[in-house]
Amino acid sequence: MKRSEQTAPAQGEQKKLTGKQRFRRVEPYIWIAPSVILMAVFILVPIFFVFRLSMSHVTKAGLIKDFAGFENFAKVLKTPAFGMILKNTLVWTVVVVVLSTVLGFMLALVLNNKFHGRKIARAIVVFPWATTLVIQASTWKFIIDTDFGTLNTLLLRLGIIKQAVNWTPTPEAYFGWEMACGIFVTIPFVTFCVLSGLQSIDASLYEAATVDGASYFQKLFHITLPLVRPSLTVSTVLNIIYVFNSFPIVWVITKGDPANRTDTLVTYLYKLAFYRGRQGEAAAVSVLGFLILLVCASVYMVYTLRKGDES
Amino acid sequence: MKKPLALLLALSMSLSLAACGGGGTTESKAPEESKAADPAPAQSQAAEPSGEKVTINVIAAQYGQNTNAWYDDFVKEFNDTYPDINLVLEVVSWADIYTVVNTRIANGNAPDVLNIDVFADYQADDLLVPIKEVVSDETYAKLYPAFLEESNVDGTIWAIPDLASARAMYYNKDILDAAGVTEIPTTWDELKAACEKIKAYDANIYPWGVDMTTDEGQACFAYYTWNNGGGFTDADGNWILNCDANVEAVEYAIDLVNSGLTNTDPANDNRYTLQDMFGAGQLAMMIGPNSIPTYVEANGYSVNYGFGAIPTNGGNPSVSAGVMDRFMCFKKDGRTDAEVEAIKTFFDFFYEDERYNEWVLMEGFLPATEAGGEALAAADPAQAPWVDIIGSCKFYPVAKAEWADVKQGVIDVEQQALLGGDVRELLDNLQAEIAG
Repeated sequence: MKRSEQTAPAQGEQKKLTGKQRFRRVEPYIWIAPSVILMAVFILVPIFFVFRLSMSHVTKAGLIKDFAGFENFAKVLKTPAFGMILKNTLVWTVVVVVLSTVLGFMLALVLNNKFHGRKIARAIVVFPWATTLVIQASTWKFIIDTDFGTLNTLLLRLGIIKQAVNWTPTPEAYFGWEMACGIFVTIPFVTFCVLSGLQSIDASLYEAATVDGASYFQKLFHITLPLVRPSLTVSTVLNIIYVFNSFPIVWVITKGDPANRTDTLVTYLYKLAFYRGRQGEAAAVSVLGFLILLVCASVYMVYTLRKGDES
Repeated sequence: MKKPLALLLALSMSLSLAACGGGGTTESKAPEESKAADPAPAQSQAAEPSGEKVTINVIAAQYGQNTNAWYDDFVKEFNDTYPDINLVLEVVSWADIYTVVNTRIANGNAPDVLNIDVFADYQADDLLVPIKEVVSDETYAKLYPAFLEESNVDGTIWAIPDLASARAMYYNKDILDAAGVTEIPTTWDELKAACEKIKAYDANIYPWGVDMTTDEGQACFAYYTWNNGGGFTDADGNWILNCDANVEAVEYAIDLVNSGLTNTDPANDNRYTLQDMFGAGQLAMMIGPNSIPTYVEANGYSVNYGFGAIPTNGGNPSVSAGVMDRFMCFKKDGRTDAEVEAIKTFFDFFYEDERYNEWVLMEGFLPATEAGGEALAAADPAQAPWVDIIGSCKFYPVAKAEWADVKQGVIDVEQQALLGGDVRELLDNLQAEIAG
């Protein structure tokens, strides 16, 4: 009896503790609930609608008729231009992401040094990022225009060229300029991601390496790169998704013309939906793009995080 | 642990961005619902709605900067004049109007009356009322019969024209004089000879403007094929995209480009770029709409120009390309006689000669009524030739359900031909795709 009296409060305490523990367990979910609900309403529901649209017969006036199975996908995949557009999209994504990451990384290294006017330099780097993409693209279009572009005007005034140069004689040239514009507007994001990583590296690591006689590149590859990898991973995955889905640059400069030569999946699906009234097929292109992105982003993240574990 | 975490993270990020980037087809659904329920920003409403009142919903296209203000006054005046009717009118920009209308249709909330350019897709979905059921005989009789025919499907007229524009060839008189072009070119041969003279006079001036862009490349196709005896359809309305006259016409246009007689980038230089170059004296001749004088003036250009018929080939009469917009009426379950009368009243009020003429002049277009044409010619003698042109021009076959595909298809053919593709082969493929 006595014994049980003694144990009773202990049991109650244990129960109390479990309740608290239980709450602790539930607590995080309560905190993230608003974002999950928001995501469900504003992201999952539209995604569901796109999937539904991609598997339906949709009239040109936008009425969803009946279930179409994979008919829309088959039509899209059979389009002769689709292979080229897919290739364009991959080239566009890889070139813009890789070059902007390399250049952004280099720029971050420069901006991490102490020099006069560093703050101003950092502010200038933000400008392209802070400006609307449509304005950026319009500006680039204006610069490279053969007839009234500023690049030709500048070179003519300086006497470097005698006659206006056609900077965009071929679709490939146009696509090259579009990628250049894409790289230009993506660099700041990479730079600032890397810069935040660089600033968190302890200076003593470099000092120790210097004492041990490490060269600049040894320090770069064995200290800097491994330590900024988390930042680079985030910026790269986000960039893959942003660049893949980027619409304004290509749309403003060429609208994917001539004859789909500069189209990416996103500009192509826009034309399908709003110029040809084929919303079902446009939704199918959207779903295909989503699946490609999902695979790419997953592979990249699993790969880099596993590498992080190994090291 | 990290692998599933990474997958989850990648999935959520892809999801969120796919929703932003790829969701063009659905994203407008939710926001537009609220717009439909409360069209306050662009709408004008004079009187308080009451139980006895009949409400009619109208969506009108925004033609220019003054459209909203004009309709504000219009709605106020209408609701004051007809206290039993509550006119709710929303002015929507061209950039948004298709999305707004399609979203409202998908949500079962179509307007009673819509002012837009196309109608065949809505008609094909059985969404429209034959227009004669909601337009009084008096108003119907005012409209050019040829215009009404453009909205004829299976013997029924589904829409009435609200206004139109037509195209002609504009030329820079100073450049033509300086280059020694004494006669305004009226045939293809004369046009090419004039272009060569202009090029010889000054290599920095583009002799001829060509627009084969996604925006309006179908107009280019029409200018050359119609003036060579070809076109989109034959007299029976069958597609004749790959007829010999069309092949010859497209090859002629491509030849002008390849001979260096045009602007350098026809796949990207749209009509506005050409108009700017024309205004700046960098382009000698181009085909453009009747609104070019307004454009040139509004942008501060001082160019000495004239306009004439579009050059033709093979003795065919010159054909101008017309563009026409429309009013149409959507079906509604349980529409009462009072509502039908209210819609008729709306059209009667809109097409009242004085009010309608004022509107057309304000928007800078050509009228779709005979009285409007006479008023325009009287008000501005310089516009008088246009009234004749508009009465005789051809229109795109927008009444046919395949039009959207044909339009983008001919643009694609032009752009492929610019890149060196074989015109006949391209047109054969397009014809096979469209006509089966």
